[in-house]
Amino acid sequence: MNKRPSSIKLATLLGAALVAGLSTSAQAQWHRSYVIEWNEPAMYFGGENSIEGPGTDCPQGVNPELDWVEVLVRAGYTREEAEWLRNPANPTRSPVHGQNQMAFRGKDRANIYTNPTSYPDPGLYPMTGSIAEGLNLDGNDDTGFVSPTGEPGIDNTFYQALGCWKTYRGPERLSSGALQFNDGMRNGSWTMVIVVAGEGDDPANDNNVSVGFYMSEDNMVKGGDGEISADYTFRIQPHAKYEALFPARTVDGVIESTQPVHAMLRDPGYTRDLELLQAQIRLEMRDDGTLRGYVGGYRPWLPVYEGWVNARGPVIESLTWVELPAVYYALERHADFHPAGRNEGKTHISYALRVDALPAFVVTPDASEVATEVVSWQHQAPPLPTAGPAMIGRSRIIDGIVIDPNAEHQAGPDAVILPPQ
Amino acid sequence: MKPTRLLVLWLALSPLLSVPAFAQGAATPNVPVADAATAVVVAVRRLSEPQYRQSIADIFGSDINIDARFEPELRENGLRALGSATLSLTSAGFEQYFNLSQEIARQVLVPTNGRLATPCAAAGTAVFDADCAQQFLAHYGELLFRRPLTAEEMQSRLVMAESGTQRAGSFQTGMQMALSSLLSAPDFLFRLERAEPDPAQNGEWRLDAYSRASRLSFLLWNSTPDAELLAAANSGALLTAAGLQAQVDRLGASPRLGNGIEAFLVDMMQIDGFDSMIKDATIYPKFNQLVADSAEQQMIRTLVDHLVVQARDYREIFTTRDTFLNRSLAAVYQVPFVSDEEWAPYTFPESAQRAGIFSQVGFLSLYAHPGSSSPTVRGVKLHEIFLCEHTPEPPADVDFSSVVDSDAGTSRDRLLDHMNNPGCIVCHQRSDPPGLALEHFDGLGQPRRYENGQLIDVSADLFGAKFVGAPGLGEFLYNDPRTSSCLVRNVYAYGVARMPGAAERSYINAQIEQFAGNGYRVPELFRQMALTPDFFSVVMPEGAPLTATELADAGQ
Repeated sequence: MNKRPSSIKLATLLGAALVAGLSTSAQAQWHRSYVIEWNEPAMYFGGENSIEGPGTDCPQGVNPELDWVEVLVRAGYTREEAEWLRNPANPTRSPVHGQNQMAFRGKDRANIYTNPTSYPDPGLYPMTGSIAEGLNLDGNDDTGFVSPTGEPGIDNTFYQALGCWKTYRGPERLSSGALQFNDGMRNGSWTMVIVVAGEGDDPANDNNVSVGFYMSEDNMVKGGDGEISADYTFRIQPHAKYEALFPARTVDGVIESTQPVHAMLRDPGYTRDLELLQAQIRLEMRDDGTLRGYVGGYRPWLPVYEGWVNARGPVIESLTWVELPAVYYALERHADFHPAGRNEGKTHISYALRVDALPAFVVTPDASEVATEVVSWQHQAPPLPTAGPAMIGRSRIIDGIVIDPNAEHQAGPDAVILPPQ
Repeated sequence: MKPTRLLVLWLALSPLLSVPAFAQGAATPNVPVADAATAVVVAVRRLSEPQYRQSIADIFGSDINIDARFEPELRENGLRALGSATLSLTSAGFEQYFNLSQEIARQVLVPTNGRLATPCAAAGTAVFDADCAQQFLAHYGELLFRRPLTAEEMQSRLVMAESGTQRAGSFQTGMQMALSSLLSAPDFLFRLERAEPDPAQNGEWRLDAYSRASRLSFLLWNSTPDAELLAAANSGALLTAAGLQAQVDRLGASPRLGNGIEAFLVDMMQIDGFDSMIKDATIYPKFNQLVADSAEQQMIRTLVDHLVVQARDYREIFTTRDTFLNRSLAAVYQVPFVSDEEWAPYTFPESAQRAGIFSQVGFLSLYAHPGSSSPTVRGVKLHEIFLCEHTPEPPADVDFSSVVDSDAGTSRDRLLDHMNNPGCIVCHQRSDPPGLALEHFDGLGQPRRYENGQLIDVSADLFGAKFVGAPGLGEFLYNDPRTSSCLVRNVYAYGVARMPGAAERSYINAQIEQFAGNGYRVPELFRQMALTPDFFSVVMPEGAPLTATELADAGQ
């Protein structure tokens, strides 16, 4: 699944040139527009009876719930200390002490969230199936997985790495991670729209198609059935970071990338930034007016791990039955790409985002007209706010934990765990 | 609520109304107003909620908060204005008005308000000041009752204010009680129209000047007469042609004319019921209360802009593709909302087949079933609202089984099957064709071309008049003279609270002709009608004395 640097560079340059060309594209003959009503990492579910049970994807099912007392003991805490920290009745098991102490189980009680390699790889159950959703990013049919419809060469080692983690496993729209983040999106946390424009006479078969992904500050609206309603109007909100423009074509109503590009989308996850190198799309314009398919590419894997850490490591570990260093090691192990000219190892991992979008109207940022062309609006974007510490609600996350400076007990490598006798 | 007939209410209120003299003082009329000894109440109309709210705002200021539920209104012969002439109050309804009167009086006279904290600057806060109280009550009493208070009315409020002041140790509290009494009096809650003997025509009655002022004000502004109009009534100028012309010119030139016309249009077009509209969420998931409220607003905005702001031909409301949209409605219409404002003008493309006010979501959704469209209901309402043709209720034993199965075929198929019943065809052959022309819009008003997989036919034949779709229906109505005559009759009925009878036929016909001559401009229609003597004609209620002599005899 590795692409040689020379061909990557060429493709990237071609993609950049085409994207630059998009901003001055000819008047579109046709256009479609959509709002993304659901998106999640493309994780093929091969389970037989349940999300946690075995299946063709994960013969052992998902990683089982951990005995955290044993985990702490293995990390060097005495059993008495471990039981004290994990006892729900213990008043010091508060986020600022008991839970936070979970971070310090690395070598010499290093913080395993910020120093995952200070902790031996706990391991994740491997995804051993041969079927995966996604795109053939490198054009090589001989590497990668087979799609559910039999297409070879699907590159999605992100799925291979994390497909048996409870967070990601499940039927479409039913994994806990997909539910959590899409609920947030559908309830107004963010909105992404898609504009498709073509220059030919037949939208279903057009060799000159452009596809733009943009942010909007207009919320989606739920109907009386609880689902997102189609046909609402969304105004493009120029965003300095989240925008992606794809040169493409349509074949029998399916939009396919003609060149890979560098894309930055809003991630439906804690990472927020879904940066994709060699990004491609394959999206079907369906008869019912909806759009469905994949956006794929190579994303940097370390921010994925950091996203989970900054979501408050101890809480994520407890809720999702995983030791976070296992995620770090799994991503590192399955990383399959690095940008041209970089020598720090595989920094990126093949990935696919499954997108479901409804027909919607998209208008230009000044709301003066319908957006019928795919152009970049980033020159109109306000500057990004200065990055601050990661936040969960109103809590600042530092090194994967919430620290209350006024708390009587503080977690740390040297913290006294047991109260004085 | 159980409506009470006019005569019953008239008799119930008569003792309150036929007091013989007006209060002395600042409000004393100095001109020929109705002599109470010879005045007869000829019509009683309960204020509508908008009229109540606007009256309070005009009299005390728009910052007065009115937080209450109002009694339901009744529509008769297509107009709530006609229903208002038959309405009484339930005990619960009066309780609401009474509580509201106290709350409004408190806001008007609240010490922290500053504006009216003390009615008179010299008055002490704990001592009853009779002059101040009389001055205050005379001023606001005239505005609230739309005429000066009688001596008895004034005296009773003065006694109340003095007693309240003494008991509460607060002049403001005493005045609040007296003001509350005015606000909960039938003379405020109801528009009482009085007739007096016409000095120019022996044995005839005429509407008194204050009743004329109210009729004018509520027609043209949908609110209570202002001080200048009351002064014209007080001086008797309103009883003269020149004085009437001056006031109609003044009221008609005001931007508030739009309020009056809007209120009429809302009444005539039956733009109500959106608060309680129900749609099946599984069939019409886009429907919610925001959509319902927006649909109501869209109809009002379209009509007011077309007929008042632009003063265009009334008949164009049946053909216009111009309207206003917000984001929610645009989604229902499945068109883009290209604006950064909350509402924006919009013109439907011809391909949308939206032409006429009846092709808007408000009409289409209001006159449909919760889970399906209804050509019959839409057709019945089109006839009723725009042609003044009312359709009788269906027979009690009618078999609707073939119509209610909306999962099979098209509405046209089902209705044709239904019309095989000879008892049904008489009405349906008249009601259904206009509704069938609107079948490209589902029960929420969303566009569609198919129903249950079958292509929908929107052609219609109404007694030989053939048209296709909403644009065709609009052209048909545009060219149908019944639409403009219906409007004229409704304006008259709305203004005088009774349908024109045979005696007014020639008058109505003349008004229709003048309306056409003025280019079917609705503001002109309002002005022209307000200037005619017939607009102030009196019809004595059943049982009322026919002559002044009979009235005097009845009082003995």
